Amino acid sequence: MFVIHFHAVAVESEGQRLILDREDDPRPLRRLRRVVDEVGALKAILMDELIVRSNESGYPVAVEAVIFPSTADDTLQQYVCLTLVVELPPGYPDVAPVVLLRNPRGLDDSVLGRIDREVKEKCESYCGQAVIYELIELVKEYLTSSNLPSCQCAICLYGFREGDHFTKTQCYHYFHSHCLAGHVTSSEKSYQEELDKLPAWQRSQHAQSPCQVLCPVCREPIQCDMNLLSSAAPPLDVENARQFELSDELRSLQRQMASLFSHQKRRGGIIDPEAEDSKLLLVTDTVEQEGQDDPPGPSLLLPPPTSQQAVHQHNSIGTSRGDWRRGGCGGFRGRGSSSSHRNRHRRRHHQAAATSR
Amino acid sequence: MTALPRRIIKETQRLMQEPVPGISAVPDDSNARYFHVIVTGPEDSPFEGGLFKLELFLPEDYPMSAPKVRFITKIYHPNIDRLGRICLDILKDKWSPALQIRTVLLSIQALLSAPNPDDPLANDVAELWKVNEAEAIRNAKEWTRRYAMDN
Repeated sequence: MFVIHFHAVAVESEGQRLILDREDDPRPLRRLRRVVDEVGALKAILMDELIVRSNESGYPVAVEAVIFPSTADDTLQQYVCLTLVVELPPGYPDVAPVVLLRNPRGLDDSVLGRIDREVKEKCESYCGQAVIYELIELVKEYLTSSNLPSCQCAICLYGFREGDHFTKTQCYHYFHSHCLAGHVTSSEKSYQEELDKLPAWQRSQHAQSPCQVLCPVCREPIQCDMNLLSSAAPPLDVENARQFELSDELRSLQRQMASLFSHQKRRGGIIDPEAEDSKLLLVTDTVEQEGQDDPPGPSLLLPPPTSQQAVHQHNSIGTSRGDWRRGGCGGFRGRGSSSSHRNRHRRRHHQAAATSR
Repeated sequence: MTALPRRIIKETQRLMQEPVPGISAVPDDSNARYFHVIVTGPEDSPFEGGLFKLELFLPEDYPMSAPKVRFITKIYHPNIDRLGRICLDILKDKWSPALQIRTVLLSIQALLSAPNPDDPLANDVAELWKVNEAEAIRNAKEWTRRYAMDN
């Protein structure tokens, strides 16, 4: 994007040339001047905070600015922000501008909706007059009055209450400090686990680079003060845990699912993990022995909730765990003897297919 | 058993109140962390018309770690193996606690619309998908008809 610095002289000649170039242009020079003057004045006030987009003739067609609440320039106290984009149609200011609210941070949809409505009203009532500065002020006032994240914490899905400790990331996403602490701990733990899986010579290379925690929402790298985060109390809403109860609706859905299950079972459409697993046992065992140096990957098989079978199934997974990740997925490729693993994998499937016919 | 985290309660309620088209998920009677799931085969995919049962389990440290999901209904798909295990990055290293049950199931539904034989889990299926896509799609349709239809 490109920022224009206005000079009175340049503006003068620019406006005239535009009119001279396009004699059929119905816009009077006066209107052009007004827009150029308005944008020039804004530029003088906001300086680099205002970005002006111009067309080929250098005539401003849109301005945008990131708006923060007024907190006497204390950025640590700014919890919300948004990018205000004002597009200036050819007839502006006699035609209302098109206003877009982009990249809202810390604002939920209802607050955004209110800002949007007021912006539209302001545009209508200022038709024929310079409105951009008014719009910036309006949004700024709004943000100042609701300078508390009104969105939910993406980790616990609850809002922010008075008294809750919360953290604003560099990317302007919000989490209860307690929730973010859990995410940081968990990220560090999985980083360590991945590190432990590497052969020793690679491990020493990676050990120098510390775990980089990513924002749960946008995956941007974030910096966190763990001492501060981990001392925070859990969010107030989450504290009042409530007992879960199945509604009638859920029960009827459960019944539908159960009947679908038995229907598919009758038609042989249900995967039998035990049968599938035993087909694989032979090869799985050799893989397990050969692959001792590789630590087990995640097991995706689930312990179904009750039943004796569940326990059995769960245990039997233990034997095939080391084999799970060799299917060529996830972040495990490119290490060790992956091609031979792949071949074994294929053989295993081939065998499984043969047995089932 | 410790109290069910409110996040799980909230997700369960929202799944009921604002259901995702083509997806239903209901917690088990005896374990509210275990969900019975049905995903309908997406339109214009070889799985169209199929009702696929899955199981989804929220581990103790959910949402810090990913739900464990598996197909229960047989399905012919290059990224789903014979045991119903699914190859999907967000279920492993790309998991984020900002993802939810609904986003996971939507991603799985999207995987049915866009099989990716270059990142296979079921190698024999992926092989065929690459060398003879038409036949692979015929197989997928046939499996859907045979195993995943309601009637």
